[in-house]
Amino acid sequence: MTRMTLKAWIKTITFYDLLVGMKATMSHLLHYRPITLQYPHEKRTLPDNYRGMLALLRYDDGTEKCVGCDLCEAACPSRVIRVVSAEVPDQPTKRYAKEYYMDMTRCLFCGLCVDACPVDALGMTREFEWAVYDKRQLHLNKDQLLAIGDRSFSACEKPLELQHQNVAFFNVAFAHLPQKPS
Amino acid sequence: MTELSLRLAVSLAQIVAVMGIVMLTVMILTLAERKVLGWMQDRMGPMEVGPYGILQPIADGLKLFFKEDIVPAGANKAMFTLAPILAMVPAMIGFAVIPFGPNVTVNIFGITIKPFVISDINIGVLYILAFASIGAYGIILGGWSSNSKYSLLGGLRSAAQVISYELNVGLAIVGVLLLSGSLSLVTITQAQAGGFWHWFIWGARPDGFFPIHTQIFAFVVFVISAVAETNRVPFDLPEAESELVAGFFTEYSGMRFAFFFIAEYANMVLVSCVAASLFLGGWNAPYPGTILGYAGLEQLAWVENVAWFTLKVYMFLFLFFWLRATLPRLRYDQLMRFGWKVMLPIALANIVVTAITAYFFPR
Repeated sequence: MTRMTLKAWIKTITFYDLLVGMKATMSHLLHYRPITLQYPHEKRTLPDNYRGMLALLRYDDGTEKCVGCDLCEAACPSRVIRVVSAEVPDQPTKRYAKEYYMDMTRCLFCGLCVDACPVDALGMTREFEWAVYDKRQLHLNKDQLLAIGDRSFSACEKPLELQHQNVAFFNVAFAHLPQKPS
Repeated sequence: MTELSLRLAVSLAQIVAVMGIVMLTVMILTLAERKVLGWMQDRMGPMEVGPYGILQPIADGLKLFFKEDIVPAGANKAMFTLAPILAMVPAMIGFAVIPFGPNVTVNIFGITIKPFVISDINIGVLYILAFASIGAYGIILGGWSSNSKYSLLGGLRSAAQVISYELNVGLAIVGVLLLSGSLSLVTITQAQAGGFWHWFIWGARPDGFFPIHTQIFAFVVFVISAVAETNRVPFDLPEAESELVAGFFTEYSGMRFAFFFIAEYANMVLVSCVAASLFLGGWNAPYPGTILGYAGLEQLAWVENVAWFTLKVYMFLFLFFWLRATLPRLRYDQLMRFGWKVMLPIALANIVVTAITAYFFPR
C-alpha cells in the first residue's frame, strides 16, 4: 500500500484528472472549428507535386511523345506497363509505341516511369477519383492514356528537334544523316 | 363500466403520448450524440441527409426497418426473438411512474386524472429498479442465444456489471427515500419544492438553507452507476468494440438490433429522468414557485415546470455524451473494483450519515 499525499488524495476523490479531460473536450465543443471537409462537395487543394493518374503526352503538333524505348517498363517496380514498340511507318529511323498498356490496379504511383522516360512522354496528372465498379476498367490502353493526357495537360512542348538542335540524337530523322536502308 | 372504459381511454392516451415523446427523444438523441461527439472531436457529424444532417435519424430508421432479418445458424430462435423485446419493454415501461410536470389534477368527463404522470403508484422507484433488472435479462439472453463467443462474453460481462452497479443505484437512492419518506416519484419531487437549496443534492430542510441533508455523494454514485447500468462509455464493456465486435448484439440485425438500440437510449432517458426527479428537484424550478405563476398565469405554470424538467433531463443526457467523448473504456477488473470497493462503501456510508442526520434533524 503506497501512501498517498493529501493533494493526490483530494485529486482522486474529486475526479480531478477526469475533469481536466472533460474540460478539453468541452473547449473543443465551444471553439468548434472542424478540420474535416465534406469530401464530394468540397475538396482539398492538392500539393504542387501531387502524383496522381498517369498519362501519355503529346507534342504541340499532336504527335505522340513516346518513342517506344521500354525504359518505363523496365523502371516500373510493379510491372504496370507493357510497351509494344514498332518503327514509325515510312520513317525507318523513328520508333514509337505501337501498343501501350497500363494495368492501373497494380500501380503504386511512385513516379519512377516518369523519371525514367528520356523524352518526358509520361506525366502524372492531378486526377485521383478513379474508383470503378469493374477493375477491368483500370486496364488502360494507349488511346485512353493519351486522352487523360490531353484533358489534363493543355500546354504541350514543341517537338524535340525544334527544341534543341543537338540533343535529339537517337530518334529524330535528320536530313544530313544517312537514312536507314529500307 | 363507462367510467372504467373512460379511465382506460385516458390512460391509453397518456401512454401513447409518453411513448411518442420518448421515441422522439430517442430519435433526437441518436442525432445529438453523433453531432456532439463530432463537435467535440473537431468533426461535423452527419451532414448529408437534410440540412445539417437533421434528417439522419429518419434515414437510419428506414435503413434498419428494411434490412434483412438474420437469425444465425445454431441460435436459439425463441430466445433470440425474445431478447430484444425483453430489453426494450422494461426500458419503456419505466416511464409509467415518471412525473413530467407538476402534480395537478384535471377533471374531465367526471373523472379525476393526473395529466403529467401515467400512474402515481406508491412504489415508483422500486418499480423502476425492478424493471431495469428485467432489462438486464434481455441483454444476457441476447448474448447467450446468439451462439457466438463475442455475444456470450458481452452478455456475461453485462450480467456481472449490471448486478454490481444496480446495487449501487439502489443504495444511492436510499438516502433520498429516507428524507422524503416515500417511494413515489411524485411525492419525492414535491418534497424538493421551493428553490434549488431544497433539492436533495443540496438537501436543506424545508425551513432553512444549510445543506444538512446533502445527498451529493449519493448523487455522484447514482450518476456513475447509472452510466454503468446503461452500458455507456466508459463502462461499455458489454459492447466493447475493440474486443467483442459489438458485444451482446453482434449477431443482431435489422429491427431486432434497432430494439436493442432503442432500449439503450430509452434507458439513458429513463435514468436521466430518475436522477432529475430524485436529486435535482424534478419539475421544480431552481427558485421558489414559477415565474408564470407570479405573473398571474397560474393556468400556464405547468409549461415552466415541464421546461425545467426537460432541461434537467437533457443536461444529464449531454453529460452522457460528454463522458463518451472524453473517457476511454475501463478494464474489467477496474470496473469491478470501482463498483464494489469504491462506490458501494460510499453509498453505504451515505445511508448511515443520512439516517443519523435525518434522525437528529428531522424534516
